[in-house]
Amino acid sequence: MSVFTIDEVKKTFTNGEVAEEVLKGVNLSLKEGEITALVGASGSGKSTLLTIAAGLQPASDGKIWFEGQNINLMNQEQIRKIRASKFGFIFQFAHLVPFLTVEEQLTLMLDVSETKLKRQEQQREIDNVLKLVEMDHRKNAYPSSLSGGEKQRVAIARAIIHKPKVLFADEPTASLDSKRSKDVMQLIQRLTKTLNITTLLVTHDEEMLAYADRVIKMSDGLVS
Amino acid sequence: MNIAWKEIKKNKVRFLILGSIIFLVSFLTFIISGLANGLSQDNAALIKDLPDGQFYMSTAADETYNLSKIESPIQDNMLNEKKDAVALSIQMGFLNDQNGKQQSVAFVASTDSKLFEHVKDGEVILDRSMKEKGIKVGDVLTNNQFSGKWIVKGFADDKKFSHAPVAFVNIENYKDMYRTDAMQLVFVPGEEKAQAAAGLQAFSKKEFLHTIPSYSAEQMSLNMIVWFLVVISGMLFAIFFYMMNVQKIGLYGILKAIGVKTSTLFKMMWTQMLFITVLALSLSVAFSQGFKMISPDGMPFHLTLETTLQLSVIFLVIGFIGATLSGVQIKKVEPLQAIQQGEV
Repeated sequence: MSVFTIDEVKKTFTNGEVAEEVLKGVNLSLKEGEITALVGASGSGKSTLLTIAAGLQPASDGKIWFEGQNINLMNQEQIRKIRASKFGFIFQFAHLVPFLTVEEQLTLMLDVSETKLKRQEQQREIDNVLKLVEMDHRKNAYPSSLSGGEKQRVAIARAIIHKPKVLFADEPTASLDSKRSKDVMQLIQRLTKTLNITTLLVTHDEEMLAYADRVIKMSDGLVS
Repeated sequence: MNIAWKEIKKNKVRFLILGSIIFLVSFLTFIISGLANGLSQDNAALIKDLPDGQFYMSTAADETYNLSKIESPIQDNMLNEKKDAVALSIQMGFLNDQNGKQQSVAFVASTDSKLFEHVKDGEVILDRSMKEKGIKVGDVLTNNQFSGKWIVKGFADDKKFSHAPVAFVNIENYKDMYRTDAMQLVFVPGEEKAQAAAGLQAFSKKEFLHTIPSYSAEQMSLNMIVWFLVVISGMLFAIFFYMMNVQKIGLYGILKAIGVKTSTLFKMMWTQMLFITVLALSLSVAFSQGFKMISPDGMPFHLTLETTLQLSVIFLVIGFIGATLSGVQIKKVEPLQAIQQGEV
């Protein structure tokens, strides 16, 4: 079942008098419980498409359908609410809050997503997710004491703690070595299946495509 | 979850430095303010400590109190009409102590009033600072213009005029010294609006203070110093909060990306600003009040708790405005930009 539809999305960046069309009318549907990987050369528009789909920047034209609503017509507050409660993000870097422990990173995300959990339920949820990403033994550690792979696992835990409908992963393994990249991708795959999340993944690394259910190639701002 | 507090707890040194700067700057302002008020008290405590009311001096004196002469019939008329009114004169002069050493004083003589020390013929009551100069109760003091002698009856607290200690003398002794029956001023306490009186000019307490030679110039300079300090401190606060926010732009972007409200980020910044500023100002208030207790007696230092609290509120408001203005960046920050900038 399609839960997320990108319909004729265009994006034009203007630099002075020069206008560059990065997305030229992209159509794409994401299915529940599937990992869709976007691949393509640098400048093909894959990261731009992901950030537009995630509500991090607006499209110049087109529609993005999610739960019956066109995200591209929503105001900032409406998009923020969806980002907080329905979307999860994994970036190239973990982007953890430096002054929060692993456990607090997840508490913050639960607070932000306004999940109405009692303290005990919240704690149980955090423990479960930390076990899932195998970081329960480091729950009181600060990001500065974690390795790159551990940070990315915490970032994944933060991205799924509030049970998002869609997970956006932009080059999640780019800053990791080969072994850790595989670990992270296996984890994303496992979580997508276990929690029935819809995942949109952008990657340069062809080895990571093995974990995707569907691979979409982009070139020159179009899905080919 | 209180992320503002979590950040303070984790980055203690950074917030300690910011708090120290607020403490030092506000402490400096309190001390300078204490010295400015001290000098102001030194110049005019005798008048400043009086209740609000109206001063009358002769129009011919051209707003110079020591040239004023209010003739006896006018003075008597005013004193009869106004129950609490008091006629007084102030003259700068010298007293010779028992060792023949001259002491500069401001002679003050007045009709009977609870607002001024009551002294009998041949007695003098001095400002307490004279005690530190070795003068004791019972000492005999003289003056070249006075035919008699004065016996020191006691000391009064904070009675200064034109940076000189006040010497309260009996009105008859004053008349003898200055060969005049006319007093310079009539003061009517509690009178808000001046009454029309022929040949007399009325001044509120504030207006009268400005007729004291050098008072206006001195106060203007001192107030200028204090307000410059307040403005500079405010700018410093704003700059430091700005620097802190600039350092956290990436973090704010990521927090916005995951869905944290901009208002939550502002609340986080205000909480931190309030916590640090209130703590630093409380320490400043305590230290400045402590300094008041240990400051040397000769140092003109006058700092009331009310003044420090008023300045503290001004600092809080300035800090709040500074932090809020610098927080405009929080509103502007784009999540995408922060994500693309790399690790925070």
